[in-house]
Amino acid sequence: MRSSLSVTKRALTGPICSERDFDRKVFAPKLTEALKQCEIKFDPAVLIPSEDSMADDLFRAAMGFYADVGTYCLDTERIIKFDQDEIKEGLRNAPSQARFGEELDAGVLRPRQPESKEPPWCFIGAGGAPVSSEEIFLSLVQGYGEISLADAITTPELTMVDGFPIRVKTPLEIFGSIRNAVLARDALRRVGRPGLPIMNALATAASDTALIAAMHPNYGLRPSDGYFVATMAELKTNYQLMNKSCVLTSQGARIGTLAGCVMGGYCGGPEGTALTVAAHHAHGILVNQATYHLNHPAHMKYISNSSPEMLWLISTYAQAISRNTHLLSLNLNYTSAGPATDMALYEIAAQVITAVVSGVSIEAVGLARAVYVDHLTPIEPKFAAEVAHAAAGLKRTNANEIVKTLVKKYVDKIPNPPPGQRYQDCFDARTGKPSRESLEIYTGVKKELENLGLAFKY
Amino acid sequence: MVQKQDLLERLRAAVVAGDETKVTEIVQEVIRDNVDPLEALEKSLIPGIREVGEKFERMEVFLTSMMLSADAMKAGMSLLLPRIPKDKIPRRGTVVAGTVKGDIHEIGKNVLAALLTANGFDVHDLGCDVQASAFVRKAEEVNADIIAASALMTTTLPGQKDILDYLNSVGKREKYVVIVGGGPTTAEWAEDIGADGYAETAVDGVKLAVRRLEEKSKTSVP
Repeated sequence: MRSSLSVTKRALTGPICSERDFDRKVFAPKLTEALKQCEIKFDPAVLIPSEDSMADDLFRAAMGFYADVGTYCLDTERIIKFDQDEIKEGLRNAPSQARFGEELDAGVLRPRQPESKEPPWCFIGAGGAPVSSEEIFLSLVQGYGEISLADAITTPELTMVDGFPIRVKTPLEIFGSIRNAVLARDALRRVGRPGLPIMNALATAASDTALIAAMHPNYGLRPSDGYFVATMAELKTNYQLMNKSCVLTSQGARIGTLAGCVMGGYCGGPEGTALTVAAHHAHGILVNQATYHLNHPAHMKYISNSSPEMLWLISTYAQAISRNTHLLSLNLNYTSAGPATDMALYEIAAQVITAVVSGVSIEAVGLARAVYVDHLTPIEPKFAAEVAHAAAGLKRTNANEIVKTLVKKYVDKIPNPPPGQRYQDCFDARTGKPSRESLEIYTGVKKELENLGLAFKY
Repeated sequence: MVQKQDLLERLRAAVVAGDETKVTEIVQEVIRDNVDPLEALEKSLIPGIREVGEKFERMEVFLTSMMLSADAMKAGMSLLLPRIPKDKIPRRGTVVAGTVKGDIHEIGKNVLAALLTANGFDVHDLGCDVQASAFVRKAEEVNADIIAASALMTTTLPGQKDILDYLNSVGKREKYVVIVGGGPTTAEWAEDIGADGYAETAVDGVKLAVRRLEEKSKTSVP
């Protein structure tokens, strides 16, 4: 892997370019060129393609594209470039497995392949969704910890410190991030899983300063947790993000690179977005020094990633990466619908089946696009993990039929989805038990999935 | 006559293609051939960018094409506007747009800026990480009608409230329509902070801007 120092040097000496020119004269034309090389095309009839050659062509085009484009550094207004040999070396040397967590709760994240029976890593929780109070935060994270299929958890985002809204790059963010760390570890201790890794440490720490502050061992985070370094859309970084990588690598902590490519934005349509997500894996290794790669492509209008073109692009990038690398790649799903709705469960099932049979692991789930405060519960991530395990080993052609049936159930509602209920309205926050209505929706949709041919193991 | 029609059609097509160089060349021809600059604006530049905006709304073209067309149109406008009497320039409204302090996410705001331009607004894009006072300073400078503030993170949402607080503190709240948007923004939030509206998408943002300006023009004293 490249060191933070060598990346910083490139950020300070690479080709000078304005951001405007990077978007218009570098990224856009090179993406068009790369797409011509692989000639992939979204087909609404095949949401999970089965042609291996298409995935391989996309992978080659994506790596060539990254060699041509590089990563733009907003602070230096220069491009961080790597040539094809460096990209190949980076892919070769990237971690092929990683141990997270401690003692009884530790586990090993391994790469997967399309149609693989290897159980997917289930990174369970909030998808960065906001919560209104520390009580709800604790109750939710305890709920996540109690999901037996959880290999790791993701915490929600605190929005208040003592009733005062948290603001980024202020002492409030530092206070909030420290509380995020303390409460998350405490919640896991309470449910008897103190070693379970927190792989999105920390949802509340957007700035480098807040992350560094909350990483003090007193607050409960460990190098065996996972720490995100985001990428700005598309293929951009800045000193804040580079600072995070520098601190994390110096402390031996594992980095997850976070890429939320926007379908309809600079990436263009589903084809360009699939290619850009694949290219972000090279950026993740070389610029962020990532051990694992979390992708959450977003639809420009709907933000979620459950529409047919989003499912197709998830499958396409996932197959490209899983067939051609040993990278540890996960897909994070965002639904349009909110908690305690059957629509959210249909969306989750479609997204998770698509990702798992295409060869990646999962993070689940950002409900109702993770926009509304307290709109998250443990039942949807539990359902996602159960679907993920059931989907491992499915043939892509069979999975495609199941997913198409599921999509028909919700696609017309995506523009105006039901927001669902708040945690405190569909769960008993004191006992952590779901309402009868939530439970009935969950069992009903599971039965429907069984009827579609999904064999649940849990 | 045929030559003029051909010129105007080529100009419209160049805007649709997002070809800034070609638009500049054709506008120079327009000027050289003494074609009415207002006609070139109304029959070529505006229909061209509207066509791209409509395609963008239907997701037939994507952000880069939209921004290239907006750039091309602006290049043409910069040559034509000085040749059109001020009272004849079609003007829908002036918008100051930006992403609030602490937030570096730009795509949503860029889409809004491009779509507003396509719909005839004069847009002043301040970029990202913008102080509340900078929004107001720019709005004062360009005599804006609307301040559009984007925030993509829960922890940067308060930056939208800061703009309203600042406007109130300097006694200029009633002068501007303030609209907010971005991932964590909701209608309830907009109402809580006293904004004039919230839009979930950039397309909705344009509709909101048009609606609020129409309402404002009806209620303003002649």
